[in-house]
Amino acid sequence: MTVRELIQQTQWPTAALPAADREITGVYMGDLLSWVMGRAKESDAWITIMSNNNIVAVATLADTACIILAEGVTPDPGVAALAEQKGVNILCSPVGAYETARLLSEYL
Amino acid sequence: MKELSLNILDVTENSVKAGAALTQIRLEQTAEALTITIEDDGCGMDAETVKRVTDPFYTTRTTRSVGLGLPLLRLEAEQTGGTLTVSSRHEAAHPTNHGTIVQAVFCTNHIDCPPLGDMVATMVTLIQGHPERDFLFTHTRPDGPPVELDTRQLRQILEDVPLDGYEVLQWIQGYLREAYAAEDAEE
Repeated sequence: MTVRELIQQTQWPTAALPAADREITGVYMGDLLSWVMGRAKESDAWITIMSNNNIVAVATLADTACIILAEGVTPDPGVAALAEQKGVNILCSPVGAYETARLLSEYL
Repeated sequence: MKELSLNILDVTENSVKAGAALTQIRLEQTAEALTITIEDDGCGMDAETVKRVTDPFYTTRTTRSVGLGLPLLRLEAEQTGGTLTVSSRHEAAHPTNHGTIVQAVFCTNHIDCPPLGDMVATMVTLIQGHPERDFLFTHTRPDGPPVELDTRQLRQILEDVPLDGYEVLQWIQGYLREAYAAEDAEE
């Protein structure tokens, strides 16, 4: 499914949505950015609670379909604008990482 | 990164790429903090570049648009309540006295402080990878005597024997492991 379809299903708010038609083909979960860098796959939805501008860089590098901030985390100031500029989608899930992943597995 | 020694390796590789003949790696450990200083005599950076090195979308790489070495080190240090500072003298402005100093302070009692990792393996890896460069490693710590290694001294003793020979690297590894195992004589 695409990021847009995921948002329609979940009604999760978005912080940045410059590439709504990106296809999501898998899910990756993790917060240690150097670890995520080498392991998240292209077109994954990446679930994390990290919210600084480095997540935009990691998402760019791994070419993920979107970042999903779990547990109601919101991006730090300036991160949403940077994500728009770099073409990185950021969604904000109000529930925890496990519940977020569980919902994704229902929809994917 | 899961261990700080990997960050140290990463930053020092940048020093080597900047043409450093000597790179000093200093670890100063107290009960509350670990200060990591990496000082090289490489080509240095201009003020504009120094301002941008902790921006993840700035990189010296040409193969991709993202460089995360220093941004992640900064994040890791700040997550513990510490800091990262970078200062540099570019060779264009300072022809005889140029280089870069990267200093990261970690508050080691913070739960998010990563472990230091294996500094012996890190030093052996650096020397093996760059036997023609010099490294001065010092680690002062609260629970034992300081650990020191100066490849310039090794070079003097070894004369023409290269530092990346198997026996030399084995000796360096044994020497450092022994230094780390030493108990503080004053205790």
